[in-house]
Amino acid sequence: MNTLQPKFSWKRVLLYLFVFIVCIVILYPYFVMFITAAKGDSEMYSTTGGIFPTVWHWENFVDIWTAAPVFKYLLNSFLVAGGATLVAIVCGIPAAYALSRMKFRGKGIFMGAVIMSQMFSPVVLLVGIYQLMVNIGLHDSIVGLILLNAAFNQAFAIWLLRGTFTSISPEMEQAAKIDGCGTVQALVKILLPMAAPGIITTLIFVFINSWNEYTIALTLISTDALKPITVGINTFYGLTFIQWQYLFATSIFATIPVVILFLLIEKHLVAGLTSGGVKG
Amino acid sequence: MNERATPKPAKIKKTANPRTLRTMRKAEPYVWLAPSVLLMCIMIIIPILTVFKTSFSEVSKTGINKGFNGIDNYIAIFKEPTFWNTLQNTLIWTIVVVGLSTVIGFILAMVLNQKFHGRKIVRAIIVFPWATALIVQSVVWKYIINADFGALNSLLYNLGIIDNYINWTATPAAFFAWECWVGIFVTVPFVTFCVLSGLQSIDTSLYEAADVDGAGFWTRLFKITLPLVMPSLTVSTVLNIIYVFNSFPIVWTISKGDPADKTHTLVTYLYDLSFSNGKFGEAAAVSVIGFVILATCASIYMIMSLRAEKKED
Amino acid sequence: MKKIIALLLVAAMVLSLGACTNGNSGKLTLDVIISQYGNYTQAWWNQFEADFEAANEDIDLNIEIVSWSDIYSVVTTRISTQKQPDILNISGFADYVLDDLLMPAEEYVSDELQANFIPSFWASNEMDGTIWALPILASCRALFCNMDLLEGAGITAAPTTWDEVLTACQAIKDTYGEDIVPWGLDISTDEGQAAFSYYSWNFGGGYVDAEGNWALNSAENAEAVEFIKTLIDSGYCNSAPYTDTRYPLQSAFSAGTLAMMIGPMNMVSADSTVNYTATDLPTNNDKSIALGVCDQLMVFKDEKAEDGRTEAITKFFDFFYECERYSEYMVYEGFLPATQDSSAYLAENAENHMVGGTETPGSSEYFATFCAVLPNCQFYPMQKPEWMDVRNGVIDVEQKVCQGEMSAQEALNQLQSSVTGG
Repeated sequence: MNTLQPKFSWKRVLLYLFVFIVCIVILYPYFVMFITAAKGDSEMYSTTGGIFPTVWHWENFVDIWTAAPVFKYLLNSFLVAGGATLVAIVCGIPAAYALSRMKFRGKGIFMGAVIMSQMFSPVVLLVGIYQLMVNIGLHDSIVGLILLNAAFNQAFAIWLLRGTFTSISPEMEQAAKIDGCGTVQALVKILLPMAAPGIITTLIFVFINSWNEYTIALTLISTDALKPITVGINTFYGLTFIQWQYLFATSIFATIPVVILFLLIEKHLVAGLTSGGVKG
Repeated sequence: MNERATPKPAKIKKTANPRTLRTMRKAEPYVWLAPSVLLMCIMIIIPILTVFKTSFSEVSKTGINKGFNGIDNYIAIFKEPTFWNTLQNTLIWTIVVVGLSTVIGFILAMVLNQKFHGRKIVRAIIVFPWATALIVQSVVWKYIINADFGALNSLLYNLGIIDNYINWTATPAAFFAWECWVGIFVTVPFVTFCVLSGLQSIDTSLYEAADVDGAGFWTRLFKITLPLVMPSLTVSTVLNIIYVFNSFPIVWTISKGDPADKTHTLVTYLYDLSFSNGKFGEAAAVSVIGFVILATCASIYMIMSLRAEKKED
Repeated sequence: MKKIIALLLVAAMVLSLGACTNGNSGKLTLDVIISQYGNYTQAWWNQFEADFEAANEDIDLNIEIVSWSDIYSVVTTRISTQKQPDILNISGFADYVLDDLLMPAEEYVSDELQANFIPSFWASNEMDGTIWALPILASCRALFCNMDLLEGAGITAAPTTWDEVLTACQAIKDTYGEDIVPWGLDISTDEGQAAFSYYSWNFGGGYVDAEGNWALNSAENAEAVEFIKTLIDSGYCNSAPYTDTRYPLQSAFSAGTLAMMIGPMNMVSADSTVNYTATDLPTNNDKSIALGVCDQLMVFKDEKAEDGRTEAITKFFDFFYECERYSEYMVYEGFLPATQDSSAYLAENAENHMVGGTETPGSSEYFATFCAVLPNCQFYPMQKPEWMDVRNGVIDVEQKVCQGEMSAQEALNQLQSSVTGG
């Protein structure tokens, strides 16, 4: 903590300047989204207007909830992303554990296959995926989306978790096993807490990827009430007019939950780190 | 490939005790892998097989398979000048986006690993581009760079930086450059957090020891940070190559490959082929070609990095 | 751990079984895909579904609204997995006929309904002597001019020839500089063939010759494409015509920042305050030719169909085209009706219905005017099997020529030989 004491140096000034510029650049599109979301129809295409709306149409942020079932879409996105994260991590942890702690034949092949499996983008596989889902009766269902997202994030989860597990020394687990712990117990009680930062990062990644998935959901889901938000906002992208203000207002609402989730988890990320440190 | 790993050892279960134990120990890793293998086999491998089959079939414009036609689809694609141009674009796109994102992401992660006021807020801000759906990002950027009504011209004009609106997308190359920029914009957070998670699991005592030894910034970077972050960096780079190579919404939303098919990447090109032109067989051939390219690159990279890892052990 | 995994797998299977057993109880189901014409299309069809099911308790409608940008990929995906809808609303049917997927219209259309269609519309869906689809609605394109902007630049009337267009554009550019875009142009893959139609037809060219054979490389067509290039090179149109679809252009026109563009008759938003006129397209011919667009409803074959499917489909169409309901939909979406009774009805009673999502009533005058214009419209040659290639081909020609890659004549020659030669 002592390092936080104000201590002037050019390095620090540069650091803050750099961070400041990065933040400005990153926030700019959100600024545009926000400003546009508060604009009226006529101002949207103004060539002479200022940066800010002349009249703030705050009602746009309220209207979207009635213009389309936005709440339902958000809920579906949560189900899909949450479910996919759960499935991906539950399947990924044992696989990553085996890859980092055990020696077996076909390890290299498996790792290669995992990566290969990600080399077709879902866009490319659309027809095949649709056929498959029809055959197992999971098209137009949230469960189908969950399983697909989990599968398409497997490689990622396995690789990241494997990296984390490998960077943790196996001594602690071995000690626990000598004390009479089973493999599963050693994994759950010793390794997982120590690997918390890696696991949480994986959770975030899978969640965000599934939250943002568009093409599969677009093709698989036909019932309006099952659409996730990425597909749902197409409502504002109709034929005759694009309702930019609604589109962006909804997009802001779709971004907020993920950011909040991230902020909540980040605390645990730090906590997981310290607890790991104490035990180590 | 995956199937081979699972079932065989499990079959020999009912034998004498010591051997059973040994077999079980041998089988154990495969049991651990099973859920993951099952999930991927069903959800990914089956559709992949469908694509391979389609690439050797004649498919009508409405998507009906009319039977095997050898390598006709591949020949048709290789004769198409757009394909070669697209291939070139895809390579540029992947190298530029992955390369720059990795460098920027790494620097950002190093910075964010420092202690400074507001670090938490900055970390939250950096996650923004990634927390927003790609499709939304692409729409916003399309709106921003619009020369006539876009936000960027309006901003610069109102700030007095420019006197005349600039046509940001005057040439296909300009379009493509913007698409690369959006690609970088959305990929950097991913790299940053991969590297950051690696940085955070580095034991600080290593740096303290290095301080005692009087090591400078570069020594610490190359001797401690890089080797220890390497696994995370490998993951993020390999996956990024694949994700970026296969990225669809950015190019599709911003230019759809226009003008004159000059800004296509393989994925948008094959989507265009299949769903705007009804050439499903050729589209499948393009995806198989893309797969072969990716598989080759990723294998080389993996073999190299695995070797490096082994050396470290 | 193994137990946990086993449990999870079982759970996943139970979930998936649950998902596939939600079948319906003995009702006949019709799957319908409708294109999204406006922002409120879904709401109207939700109401339609409820009304229809109340009137026909033995039929379960399953209506899905799909946006135009996705509809072709959605439909082909369905077809390739044999999950095609029963009824589809889309533009173009030739490819489906070639694959023998459609039912001839006469098998399911009641005699009264057939007699009620405007004859030219009914006939427009003919291919090889059979009618394959029903016209759902029509629209025609007009030249829209913001009269306040034109007058401000000293132009008193909407341009009627292409030379007048150039003059007007220059005057607007001189007067307003960068604040106003003089001319809206869309040669994107979204609808670039529409631009080709406006210009080529009104330069005296077109897609086909008098015998109905492809005639894409005529001198008139080349002149038309070169004219488009002139518009771009002179800085008269929006900056990114290669990727700007007409939707943002329409919004810009409605907001008053775009002076002139050719667009569909319902393109100006209901709450726009712009003082505009919609008039004939500029032309070098004796008579201006507008583009008419007529989308279709078609019925897919189903060999495994339950009894009564065809009857149910007949009921669906009779219900949909019922004068008042159909007219309401036309006002709602702002398109022109394809039936005779509805045309007559709307020319007097459009005020009885509301434009979708607003409290604005329809305008009888509007329907009377545009229904009268429709006979002058030409349609895309959609019944020709090569149409999809030609459509994409002319867009490619426009983009290549305007990028300066080759001359219009050269590009069109290439297209002509690839379409007729292959």
